[in-house]
Amino acid sequence: MTRWWRTASIRVRLTAWYTAVLALMLVVYASVTFVAVRHEFYEQLEEEEHVEAAHSQQSAEQRVEQQLAEILLVLVLGLPVIVVLAGGGGYVLARRALSPIDRLAADARRITAERLHERLSVPNEHDEIGRLAAVINETFARLESSFDQLRRFTADASHELRTPLSVIRGIGELGLGETRRPAEYKEAIGSMLEEVDRLTRLVDTLLRLSRGDAGTVRLSPEPLDLAELARDVAASLGVLAEERQQRLVVNAVAGVPVVADRLVMREAIANVVDNAIKYGPSPSTIVITVNGSETQAVLEVTDEGPGISPQHRTRIFDRFYRVDEGRSRERGGTGLGLAIAKWAVEANGGHIALVSGPAGSTFQIVLPRE
Amino acid sequence: MVRVLIVEDERKLAQVLSSALEAEHYDVVVAATGEDGFYRANAELFDLVVLDLMLPGRSGLEILQTLRQRHVDAPVLILTARDGVDDRVLGLDLGADDYLVKPFALPELLARIRALLRRGRPSEVLRLKVADLELDLVSRRVVRGDRLVDLTGREFELLEYLVRHQGHLVSREMLARDVWKEPRRATPLDNVIDVQMARLRRKVDSDGALRLIHTVRGVGFVVREGEL
Repeated sequence: MTRWWRTASIRVRLTAWYTAVLALMLVVYASVTFVAVRHEFYEQLEEEEHVEAAHSQQSAEQRVEQQLAEILLVLVLGLPVIVVLAGGGGYVLARRALSPIDRLAADARRITAERLHERLSVPNEHDEIGRLAAVINETFARLESSFDQLRRFTADASHELRTPLSVIRGIGELGLGETRRPAEYKEAIGSMLEEVDRLTRLVDTLLRLSRGDAGTVRLSPEPLDLAELARDVAASLGVLAEERQQRLVVNAVAGVPVVADRLVMREAIANVVDNAIKYGPSPSTIVITVNGSETQAVLEVTDEGPGISPQHRTRIFDRFYRVDEGRSRERGGTGLGLAIAKWAVEANGGHIALVSGPAGSTFQIVLPRE
Repeated sequence: MVRVLIVEDERKLAQVLSSALEAEHYDVVVAATGEDGFYRANAELFDLVVLDLMLPGRSGLEILQTLRQRHVDAPVLILTARDGVDDRVLGLDLGADDYLVKPFALPELLARIRALLRRGRPSEVLRLKVADLELDLVSRRVVRGDRLVDLTGREFELLEYLVRHQGHLVSREMLARDVWKEPRRATPLDNVIDVQMARLRRKVDSDGALRLIHTVRGVGFVVREGEL
């Protein structure tokens, strides 16, 4: 019984419940009616008794009994018929009410990984089914965007790996083509090694990101001063700014203690500052501001560059995403700097965002303060 | 002659390693399997063992452990393709003296081998010299010929490192780790190294004198007298 019950579809179960409840109510209603009618008959009979005295009493009583029996028969025979008819009606109703769910299921089954752009049709967005479909559609939308991201990442990664590979191959084939002077061979081998170096760093970075995704990176959080860390990064990258006639200024309040992994946080800040140096004009000023409140520590890196247009803003932290396709590669960037920074900040419980002002870009790193 | 055992199953890599070490005048023996490596390290006397961790048959870690249990005390440098912290810690705990993660740069391998062989023989120098360039490590004064070279702290450390390795190639990884004390060679740091190196070169090799600091494209830098 229970097994059948669990495997039965909702419309069968609804019908069964409905029929059972209806039958019970009908039985109660019929019994009450029957008792009331009987009571009424006997009262009438007693009144007649007074009028007609004793004569023909027997036959009147018999008549009442007979009438009652007829009513009972009608009730007993009629009730099941009504219940069966109502049950059938209930089934049809339940099926009508639930058929959108069946359609929803069929629709959803049609949408596979390759056809994630399709959506369920929402006939009426205000009823329960409509709301369900809307929720499922939202899930599909999120799935689609993460699938897209994954696909783009894989394509970008293969592209980034392919470029140095084809350079290495080309140089090798060219080098072996005809006999050359030793200096030319040295040049060729050197340039192959440069590409190998690029490949190595790319693979290292990808490996780190994938470890970050898998959550297998063990951080060693320690109490540290965010202001001091910022000054440390500025001191280390200062020469890069100097080369581009930029001023690198640190505006920090005294001591902003946070608990974070020093190396990982340092890398995040270094990547953001390096980004500002690369894309800030020369001459210009890059300002690193460190502030703290009760609950959080905030580090901001502001450049005087052209700023980043809204269309790029949301994707700037994506892996391999570049605002200017051609420019970054020749500067030795992997296109993963900000992606690493994002991972590093989030792994330390904070978040990073691009908050652009009227001019220039401001990258904001926020860390919680326990 | 210094004897080095290389235990490496990847034929091409073993060949590259042995050629590189032979060029540095080491006496090189190559073992292509774990078994062979273990047998040789046990039976013969080596000054240093270069051990790949992923070997068919007997793993590098097993070999290392057994060697140490039998009191074979030659310094061991392990090579691994996995750069997880666990592997490294395990290797060092089992008695390895140093490790390198593949793909590594040959200059770095050679520098590590030199360092391992030098160990226990402290060479406290107060002055370093190459051609007419002199570094006073105590006063941190640098003189080229009769010209005083004014260097920043970082530039001095960089020059000192290069001169200490004079005649040998120094890779960017080595500079990142040993001069900048950064465990990882990230893009910003690479650019910093290049800028500092250009500045150092301007100060040291500026006045048309004999060039001492050379760039080897795709490999790194070397300080030596005369051209490459």
